[in-house]
Amino acid sequence: MLQLDNVTVRFGGVIAVNGLSLSIATDEVTGLVGPNGAGKTTLFNAISGLARPSAGRIVFNSVDVLKAPVYRRARLGLGRTFQVPQPLSRLTVHENLLVAQRFATGSIDESRLREILAFVGLTEKAGRDATTELALSELKALEVGKALATNPKLLLLDEVLAGLETVGKRRFMQMLKDMHAKFGVGILIIEHDIETISNLCKRVAVLNFGELIADGTPEDVFRNPAVIKSYTGADHA
Amino acid sequence: MNARSVAILLALVGMYIAVPLLLGPNLYVMSLLVASIAIGGVALAWALLGNLGGMVSFGHAAFFGVGSYVSALLSMKLGVPVFAAMFLGGVGAAVASIAMLPTLRLKGPYFALAILAYAQIFRILATEWKSVTGGSGGLSSIPRLPEIAGFDFGSKVGNYLVIVTIVLIFALIYERIRASHYGIALRAMHDSEDATRIVGVNSTFLKAMMLFVSAFMTGVVGAFNAHYINFLEPDYGFSGLWSTIPIVAAIFGGYRTILGPVIGAVFVYLIDQLVFKSYIPSGHQIMLGALLAGMVLFSPTGLLPWIVEKFKRSRHAAA
Repeated sequence: MLQLDNVTVRFGGVIAVNGLSLSIATDEVTGLVGPNGAGKTTLFNAISGLARPSAGRIVFNSVDVLKAPVYRRARLGLGRTFQVPQPLSRLTVHENLLVAQRFATGSIDESRLREILAFVGLTEKAGRDATTELALSELKALEVGKALATNPKLLLLDEVLAGLETVGKRRFMQMLKDMHAKFGVGILIIEHDIETISNLCKRVAVLNFGELIADGTPEDVFRNPAVIKSYTGADHA
Repeated sequence: MNARSVAILLALVGMYIAVPLLLGPNLYVMSLLVASIAIGGVALAWALLGNLGGMVSFGHAAFFGVGSYVSALLSMKLGVPVFAAMFLGGVGAAVASIAMLPTLRLKGPYFALAILAYAQIFRILATEWKSVTGGSGGLSSIPRLPEIAGFDFGSKVGNYLVIVTIVLIFALIYERIRASHYGIALRAMHDSEDATRIVGVNSTFLKAMMLFVSAFMTGVVGAFNAHYINFLEPDYGFSGLWSTIPIVAAIFGGYRTILGPVIGAVFVYLIDQLVFKSYIPSGHQIMLGALLAGMVLFSPTGLLPWIVEKFKRSRHAAA
């Protein structure tokens, strides 16, 4: 269970996340949505340790991780992908997964790495340079593979479907559904596409201007007037 | 035995048998060779920090100076055996590098500038701490390398064999680190530090380790040098030349490779002392500058990668 209590993240005078409280279960897929600039990625940064909250508490599986460095949070089971894929440079696809597994779990399990490579569809590309020899869909798959190799309990997926064409998106979505079942990992996913979120998640949280404005099932949330207003700028007719 | 093993064997025979036999009687050339390999050792340590730690240092003179003073003082004042003192000189330099840990959060030119400032601080400390270091007057009569089992390591050939062995051990350590999981993670850290941290890599710890290893290596070479020249003063031990010449050598030889910096140091130093100096006794460094500029323009990756590429092409053409 990830528990956020009154989390606030400021950048100078700008409040990117404002007193946010939220609980995320590690046995389900939860959506995090909101208009551009709502604070979704900043919240991911705060959870993973790349941004330091000015107030609040972040507790993961009963461990207060607010002051824990980024690498320690990964070792505790908080995995994460980036909106713009960030492969480990100068390494092959296999080495990317190897580094993730070795440093997050403390050991190497090649059969598990092969299993992950097959799952994300990168077996054939294992020896390729991750920075220069992969297409966008493969880079996105590598992001997920890398995160899986850390053996996460909760995986933060930041717009992992963005930029993919329709067929690729559908395939990727199936992969995310299977991932939850196969690896037993909880997922918190940022996504703009309402259909995708409705398909994947039983629960959705909505942010606007750094504040939580709705939290519930996709059906309820996407009918919520405050949510509609946050996207359209107008009251629901 | 494959081609690589044959090449390594030939190189070892050349270094440990042919060079002492052929050049041993020529004390001048041997002294140049010893000095160039010592610079190569610092260049290798500098390249390790740059390649694996991702940090460009302009302050290796600090480690060189600390290593030389620690070793000299331990052997002179406490009677520690010279080889043990040299090792402790390296440890001293590594310990001194702890003071530089706050600079690890800096990147690029900011790190380079900060570590340069540290080098100056250590030089001033060595100058002002007169009761221990002898101040600007320095230390003289530093014990030479000992005679063991009838072999005089203090002779020119002995000095040569010691520094060659030290640098070879450092090259092996460098190779082992680079091939390890730590080395793979360090390689990735250069352009994607956040991405490595997010998968559990403690990047600050790894960078600190590389700083310690690089400082230790430089300190041992500094210690060797102190026992080789038997004299030390702050302006010499902490001279900025111990920071800049290894950089020139590493870039010339190929700082991305393990032996490139050593080959670069030997080539640059010997050609400067044996060739350029004979033509332009005063101001011969201008030729060195032109040579480096030419190499950077002609083959930015350095001499060793250029030679390897040529060799591969010629084999490919012959096949």
